[in-house]
Amino acid sequence: MVVLNFIINNILTQAAVVIGLIACLGLALQKKPAGTVVSGTLKTMLGFLVLSAGSSVIQSSLTFFGTAFNAAFHMKEGAVVASIEAINGQAMSDLGLGGEIAITLAGIFVVNVILARITKFKYIFLTGQALLWEATLCVVFAYFLGLSGLPLILIGSLVGGVFATLMPALAQPIMRQITGSDDIALGHLCTVGYIVSAMVAKVTGDKNKSAEDIQLPKSLEFLQDTYLSVMTVMIPFYLITAAFAGAEACAPFCGNTNHIVYAFLQALQFVTGLYVLMAGVRMLLAEIVPAFQGISMKLVPDSKPALDCPVLFPYAPNSVILGFVFTTIGSLIGMLISPIFGAFVIPGVMSNFFAGGTAGIFANQMGGRRGVVIGCIVHGIFIMILPAMLSPMLAQIGFVNVTCTDVDTIITGFFFMLIKSVVGFF
Amino acid sequence: MFFFGKKKTESEQKKTESAPKPDREELLKKASELIQKLEGVQDKKEKTALLNEIGSCFFQAKEQDQAIHYYEMSLEEDRQLGKAYTDLLKLYNQKRQAAAEAKDDAKLTEYMDKVQNLMQMSKDVIRGKI
Repeated sequence: MVVLNFIINNILTQAAVVIGLIACLGLALQKKPAGTVVSGTLKTMLGFLVLSAGSSVIQSSLTFFGTAFNAAFHMKEGAVVASIEAINGQAMSDLGLGGEIAITLAGIFVVNVILARITKFKYIFLTGQALLWEATLCVVFAYFLGLSGLPLILIGSLVGGVFATLMPALAQPIMRQITGSDDIALGHLCTVGYIVSAMVAKVTGDKNKSAEDIQLPKSLEFLQDTYLSVMTVMIPFYLITAAFAGAEACAPFCGNTNHIVYAFLQALQFVTGLYVLMAGVRMLLAEIVPAFQGISMKLVPDSKPALDCPVLFPYAPNSVILGFVFTTIGSLIGMLISPIFGAFVIPGVMSNFFAGGTAGIFANQMGGRRGVVIGCIVHGIFIMILPAMLSPMLAQIGFVNVTCTDVDTIITGFFFMLIKSVVGFF
Repeated sequence: MFFFGKKKTESEQKKTESAPKPDREELLKKASELIQKLEGVQDKKEKTALLNEIGSCFFQAKEQDQAIHYYEMSLEEDRQLGKAYTDLLKLYNQKRQAAAEAKDDAKLTEYMDKVQNLMQMSKDVIRGKI
């Protein structure tokens, strides 16, 4: 009994152990050899610890940025960086919700499989990272509602599973038009943004004048290195903020180092943290996701796989490039107006690329090249306003100078807040 | 969804109905002629176009394995986003579904990995890495 109590109180309360056990379960269910089960379990635990280390680096960089921004611009709303990765890192390590998030991730797979089996929505969501972000938001907001333990995991899994099943269904009518078949679905939790861009494009554009008929460069070479792209966005923001804040306001952080030099290094620290965090996320998901994907596919053989957004790029490569460009323009406009909605939001370059590119494909399908231009500018504004609206709630929960990117996960947050308001009403 | 579920116009419907369906025997015959032609071709662009055409014939003739073979050869020759990619995606998905129904774990993993590799390729091409 003493041993059992020790295990329950000292080992199973550790997020790294819980996450390792989930990977272990997934590998065992696949009847993998014992060596693979042990190594996969240990690698998953290591992934969680790497993720936590990256999150700490990001958080210390953002603490400096947030303080300098407040001193520089005296904006009562404050500044937040749009990074779903940083949200996940802070939730899993600093808020101590890592174990709950990992179990909810597995729960979302289960609910998704059940819904795909018993309803007409035969979509199995296969994008592991997107599901991890969804699990994070479900757990964070269920926790904010005052839930804990089993009820938190059950509610989080249910809501996440419903989103993972219904969001591909929402995109499918346009997906059928883009791919010319009903074989695959879209598993990327920015769907509401894609529908917004498609609706705007349908109203304002002309689908007979496709963006694919014009000559454009075949690729966006400056995005070859993800982290270099993020760096080119973060460095100017950090430098301008530090310049306006002045040496005195930055002194508690930088000591004897020049505040501009310190700000430059902190921008690099942000990218370093992101690099480490993403390495951790990949390690963490490498064993868990394939295990559950294989099981889901076998349990629902007639399912439609909901795949990550790059699967669509070959259907309309010009629209991807235009979508990225005009979503970025829209997000800069959105950034300027974002304080009205709750916080000054700094856009994420990589989410602009993936979400913007896919929004471009949807907009082109419904409204041609003019639809892409107008639809994606609106999309860019939309994906800045929603994170701005969510950021006061995130700050209240304990997140430091950071907000979400993927709009479906933000809507998940609003959904939980709606429940809180309705329950509070009675 | 009603907003996007626009019905086909009459002319579009007629166009679809009147499109002649190629005969399976004809497609296979054409594919075998193209395979013979392929042997002498050295030019990369011409070879890729031929491989795509052969893949397409087999795809339409519902010869999945042959179609996959020639489309994969085409992508090895030139990693570009086109018909080879989009048809391969459909073919891998069909094979994945068949493997899931047959409860063949190895094949299921193989075709899911192939889909993942296609997605990675699409990311790399758009970002100019290839």
